[in-house]
Amino acid sequence: MSNKKYWQTFGELNNTNAYNEAAENEFREELPFEMNDNGAKTPRRDFLKYLGFSTAAATLAASCEIPVKKSIPFLNKPADIVPGVSNYYATTFVLDGDVVPVLAKVRDGRPIKIEGNESGFTKGATTQRVQASVLSLYDTARVRHPLEKSGDGFKEAPTYEAVDKKIAEALAAVGGKQIVLLSSTLNSPSVQAVIDEFKAKYPSFKQVTYDAVSYSGIIEANGLTYGTKGIPSYQFDQAKVIVSLGADFLGTWISPVEYAKQYAAGRKINEKNPEMSHHFQFESSFSMTGANADERYTHKPSELGAVLLNLYAKVGGSVTAPSIADKRLAEGIDKAAKELVAAGGNALVVCGSNDVNAQVIVNAINAQLGANGKTINFGAMVNYRKGVDTEMEQFVTDMSAGAVGAVLVYGANPVYTYRDSKKFADGFKKVALTVSFNETEDETSELCQYILPAHHYLESWGDAEAKTGYTSFLQPTIHPLFKTRAFATSLLKWSGSAVADYETYFKAYWTNKLGGTAAFDKALEDGVIEPAAPVVAGATFNSSAVAAAVGKLSQTATSTGHELVIYQKVSIGDGKMANNPWLQEMPDPITRACWDNYAMVSVKTAESLGFKADDAYEVEPKKPVLKITVGNQTVELPMMIIPGMNSNTIAIAVGYGRSEKVGLAAKGAGKNIYSFVGFNGQNYQYTVGNVKVEATAETFTVAVMQTHGQYGNRVEVVKETSINIFKKDPKVFINERLNELKDYGGLDNFEAEGTIYPVYDKPGIKWGMSIDLNTCNGCGACVVACSAENNVAVVGKNQVAKYHDMHWLRIDRYFSGDMENPDVVFQPMLCQHCDNAPCENVCPVAATNHSSEGLNQMTYNRCIGTRYCANNCPYKVRRFNWHDWNGADSFGDNQVPIVESGRLNEVTLQMNDELTRMVLNPDVTVRSRGVIEKCSFCVQRLQEAKLTAKKDSRPMVDSDIKTACQQACPTNAIVFGNVNDKESAIRKVRTEEGVNRTYYVLEQIHVLPNVSYMAKVRNTDRVVGNEEEGGHEISHEEKKEAEAAH
Amino acid sequence: MSLLKYESQVREPLVDGNKTYHQVTEDICGPVEAAPSRLWWIGFIISVALLLFGVVSIYKEVVYGTGMWNLNKTIGWGWDITNFVWWVGIGHAGTLISAILLLFRQGWRTGVNRAAEAMTIFAVMCAGQFPVWHMGRVWMAFFVFPYPNTRGPLWVNFNSPLLWDVFAISTYFTVSLLFWYSGLIPDLATLRDRAKKKWAKAFYGVTSFGWTGSTKHWQRHESLSLVLAGLSTPLVLSVHTIVSFDFATSVIPGWHTTIFPPYFVAGAIFSGFAMVQTLMLVTRKVMNLEDYITISHIENMNKVIVLTGSIVGCAYLTELFMAWYGASKYEYDIFFKYRIAGPYGWSYWLMMTCNVITPQLFWVKKLRRNIAFTFLMSVVVNIGMWFERFVIIVSSLYRDYLPSSWSVYYRPSIWEVGFYLGSFGLFFTCYFLFSKYFPVIAIAEIKHILKKSGESFKEAMDPLEEQSVDEFVHQAHAHH
Repeated sequence: MSNKKYWQTFGELNNTNAYNEAAENEFREELPFEMNDNGAKTPRRDFLKYLGFSTAAATLAASCEIPVKKSIPFLNKPADIVPGVSNYYATTFVLDGDVVPVLAKVRDGRPIKIEGNESGFTKGATTQRVQASVLSLYDTARVRHPLEKSGDGFKEAPTYEAVDKKIAEALAAVGGKQIVLLSSTLNSPSVQAVIDEFKAKYPSFKQVTYDAVSYSGIIEANGLTYGTKGIPSYQFDQAKVIVSLGADFLGTWISPVEYAKQYAAGRKINEKNPEMSHHFQFESSFSMTGANADERYTHKPSELGAVLLNLYAKVGGSVTAPSIADKRLAEGIDKAAKELVAAGGNALVVCGSNDVNAQVIVNAINAQLGANGKTINFGAMVNYRKGVDTEMEQFVTDMSAGAVGAVLVYGANPVYTYRDSKKFADGFKKVALTVSFNETEDETSELCQYILPAHHYLESWGDAEAKTGYTSFLQPTIHPLFKTRAFATSLLKWSGSAVADYETYFKAYWTNKLGGTAAFDKALEDGVIEPAAPVVAGATFNSSAVAAAVGKLSQTATSTGHELVIYQKVSIGDGKMANNPWLQEMPDPITRACWDNYAMVSVKTAESLGFKADDAYEVEPKKPVLKITVGNQTVELPMMIIPGMNSNTIAIAVGYGRSEKVGLAAKGAGKNIYSFVGFNGQNYQYTVGNVKVEATAETFTVAVMQTHGQYGNRVEVVKETSINIFKKDPKVFINERLNELKDYGGLDNFEAEGTIYPVYDKPGIKWGMSIDLNTCNGCGACVVACSAENNVAVVGKNQVAKYHDMHWLRIDRYFSGDMENPDVVFQPMLCQHCDNAPCENVCPVAATNHSSEGLNQMTYNRCIGTRYCANNCPYKVRRFNWHDWNGADSFGDNQVPIVESGRLNEVTLQMNDELTRMVLNPDVTVRSRGVIEKCSFCVQRLQEAKLTAKKDSRPMVDSDIKTACQQACPTNAIVFGNVNDKESAIRKVRTEEGVNRTYYVLEQIHVLPNVSYMAKVRNTDRVVGNEEEGGHEISHEEKKEAEAAH
Repeated sequence: MSLLKYESQVREPLVDGNKTYHQVTEDICGPVEAAPSRLWWIGFIISVALLLFGVVSIYKEVVYGTGMWNLNKTIGWGWDITNFVWWVGIGHAGTLISAILLLFRQGWRTGVNRAAEAMTIFAVMCAGQFPVWHMGRVWMAFFVFPYPNTRGPLWVNFNSPLLWDVFAISTYFTVSLLFWYSGLIPDLATLRDRAKKKWAKAFYGVTSFGWTGSTKHWQRHESLSLVLAGLSTPLVLSVHTIVSFDFATSVIPGWHTTIFPPYFVAGAIFSGFAMVQTLMLVTRKVMNLEDYITISHIENMNKVIVLTGSIVGCAYLTELFMAWYGASKYEYDIFFKYRIAGPYGWSYWLMMTCNVITPQLFWVKKLRRNIAFTFLMSVVVNIGMWFERFVIIVSSLYRDYLPSSWSVYYRPSIWEVGFYLGSFGLFFTCYFLFSKYFPVIAIAEIKHILKKSGESFKEAMDPLEEQSVDEFVHQAHAHH
């Protein structure tokens, strides 16, 4: 190695200090660690510290703000509550005088559905209002705590004790003036006992019963002719001939829930020996009951007396009857009279009039027929309505005169329902102490000094004696939602009773009466106490009042111009439940309209006013407005043209036009026409003469769910005939079907031969439904039950008018025959669960498909909303979620803007309130916007039934399952079950009991529905349906021709 | 040389005005290179405004629900699907012109094919909006695509005509786009070569895909055109056939009919040509292209219109006949009670007038060659064809099987109309951009026919035509 040195710089060569130092620190770099770099206030390290801390702090703080939704299990699980399993409590639906024993389905502490109590006298039947009542429990407009007047409004009373003290003082200060309990009919024996105690304390106490729609005429007539002021039980099932004069006994009259069931017994056809009751209806308006009648005749309201007297004369009454000009009507009376007499006591005449004279004649006719003790039972007087009109009139007079010192209002709402609201209100203001126990701040409560809201029936203890010997019990199904208090508790407090509250009183009362706690518990569990054997008794008819009644009826002034009938809608009734969205959205059976009242007019009347029932009228929801004037009162209402209304008669429903405070659903719906109710010196009159009706240039949107009412020649949709034809040829319907299908395999092989596709076996369970058009009376209880069970959305008036209603089950109403006297068929229409469903194969994403049990299923979270299935459904039962009805949308908060823009009604907000949503059935998905939904045959119930059977290790049987509609139906028109089970009721109906009447709607298009219908048969000699138009017959001719052509 | 070179003198020239190749390039590239005109701006701004209105309309519908439209439980489809079918139909003329006429060697197609193809693409884009946005849950629209997914065994339903639509429309759009674009490449290269501005050079440089005009390029281009024409030809027939299946395979009277596929295809071509006319008549005027889109082009298209219009008319009458002869009372009722009469009777007669009666005037040669009349008719036909779809969809649905479900009167809400107007906005926005930045006439293809169907060429042939056959043969031999 050479020692030769290589150098790069002189420094290196000379090995200087500077060089050595530089070489040592070759990579040294000045780091900016000085604390005062460039004068910055926050040095870098501090800055990083601050940054780190503040980020961490912000993160912590932000995460603390996240709302935490807690779901806490029971610490100690109550013995009888299993989460997800429903409990059923026997209780009683009580509304004014109505009593229906029910079972409340309570799920996780919330009542969510009402079913009929089958051990009760209603035999499990319900009505639309019973079904809807559970929603009223969660009504947002309920008064939530005691209120006392403060200025024009109310303020919350601090405690009940404070209010009690004030009221007790006020009651003491009343002095000699009357203390009046103004209530709707009360039929609780224990509450009556409390009232009696109260009366003992305050001698000037007086009880006035005021029913919104009065039955005083019947009550008084029975007093006059039988010496018993009250209403007897009617037995429609015993009646072979029924004549109703304007009584809507299947819809609204006294106790439709019982009558519907009884009536259906007489309408059900035993095909081997077809017999039916014969039902004549004479009326002015068009009631649901009239729509079910075999023979229906119309007359002017003012002709009722003449009709009655003629009928009385014809059945053998010694009376000179005025002549009847209308030939058809006269013949009808003749015919009805003949049949009545021939029925030998198994006949019943009822009348909807509230005129005592009319009811006296009705009693005379029934007595003449020997109906007492057969179809009329004085052994069990009913307690549904007790109001006597003259007592109310006396009370109003007393009040106006200043003779009343205190009024306690419970159940009644006269400021709204009384014929002269102003007079009542003026008198009411003169009363020193006014207390309301009503559940909402209704029109009368608004004028009271105190509102001490009573519980909803589902929160209450109580009892109701529906009729003599029939008691039904109430027990709470939920802790009171609000600071409410039982009405009787207030009375107990004020009468200074030793018993602290009504609950204690009630328990003691019944334990005492029934002789022990065990008996009491048993009664609560059963829900009802009934006599072992029904007591059936007649009564002796006292004819002394007849002559006077005849005299008065003969004098009835004939009115000029139009006449007005004031009626109750099947859904809304007297208006008490007007804030119930399910009821508001339930279409009327006859008009198929909801959310409003309107003037029903006949086709002829409409023509005389310049309107035609043509296409344009039909397809436009905007209906012409009529101006209706009686005396100095005027109301403007939209016109509905209804075939079969009596000419020159218009009919308007009560129950609408509630005050805004009654709730968002009732707000703005219709107009109040209670003010048109007349008074003849003894009774309130619901028919009014001398009515002026004028057309106006205005229109008003009516929410109608069905625009077209005739089925024309479409006999594959509706099949009906008369009993004579059916008796002569029981195969009439079968032959009709055969004729249609004979080239495609006939009835038996149509499934296989009607298609080019392979046919699959259907082993195991196959669900099927049969609906008997003979017993379906169109009441709509099933529609509301379906909404309740399946969380079907309420869409509100504006959306119904746009044809956006969501009902899974609807009752189609078809008129047939001539426009003046049409026949009506009600046809419940729901998803037919077709085995060859046209909806299934068109869905691009297979969101709707077929189950192995024959169900047409909807998969909501797969649906993208093309609506192709709805288009392709021949039954048009599929419903699309046009808007976010349920607050279940992917886009939050998008209800309010469209409510504000008027597209949705405020009822949507009511239905989506946290309180109202408690009614939702947790077993059923709440559908979001943009998906299709439809009837599922209550699949959640089917699953439950299958599971129950499985757990019990036994085959599933019929009694395990009931769909909601089937269960609600008061007439058992719906049969449901497993068709593959040879023992099932549905199988029996289709193959034995109803084999001759069974048909499938639109069978010929080979969609193979799983819902069958049983053709309607009418007990009449007439040609029914569209046969006279050649519907049934000609369609065959056409077919033959077509076949020949091929 | 091939016989193609010779064209009878009886035929009118397809390019007027003694054009040279350079002039052709100048005429067609000129408007692209020039600044947009005032008229262009006005049209463009109106289009964009309409488009924005459409966007707002869709926004309302998507956020607040399909209930913002006036469809209902009985009429599930209305303006939405009417517009869909209408726009798809319009697209068909473009494909027919570009594909079928190419295969049939119809020289006159070159004047209009570019714009017609563009129209096809834009029309299909518009059409596609409707089935998408009419969905209740459009954010789940991807459910219609059959691809392996994490949603368990869920798969699309191949039985559904709506799914067939998805495939039909997407295929149609893809093929049309490829066809249009491959045709554009030589012309884009022309623009690139002429471009002076930097961005134009870059833009046309990229879009022309490195076209050099080499023989190999031309050869491949021609092959591709033929292949795509072959692919497109069945699409002309299949797309609207499948669209018609949406209706024909259903059970609804008025929809359930076997005549729909040919009837729809004829109708589609009918309305498509009408739309081409509408666009071409404006374009040739505004862009001074009268020499390329000549009266004879217009007359040719009018002939197609009168033919297809008559086919459609026959279809209408056949439907009525079958409704009577078929002895299905539901179908009979729909046609004779609720379609030609009833609340929507007016729409049926409007359709009949616009589609069947007035186009018959085109049997008159004078009217076929009248520009103003043609323009008027083209609009009338498209109104008629819109109503045809409206009649089929709405008047079948509103009164189907159960009389209880018969609908209230359906009229569109502002947002339904807005959506339709918005589709016009989309269409014209695209068309304006296209006409500004792309050659609206296929330069290369015009040049291709210039030497046989151009006016100058035809004039040059005049002396030859006057020769006797012997003279011509002699001369021809002499050349050899």
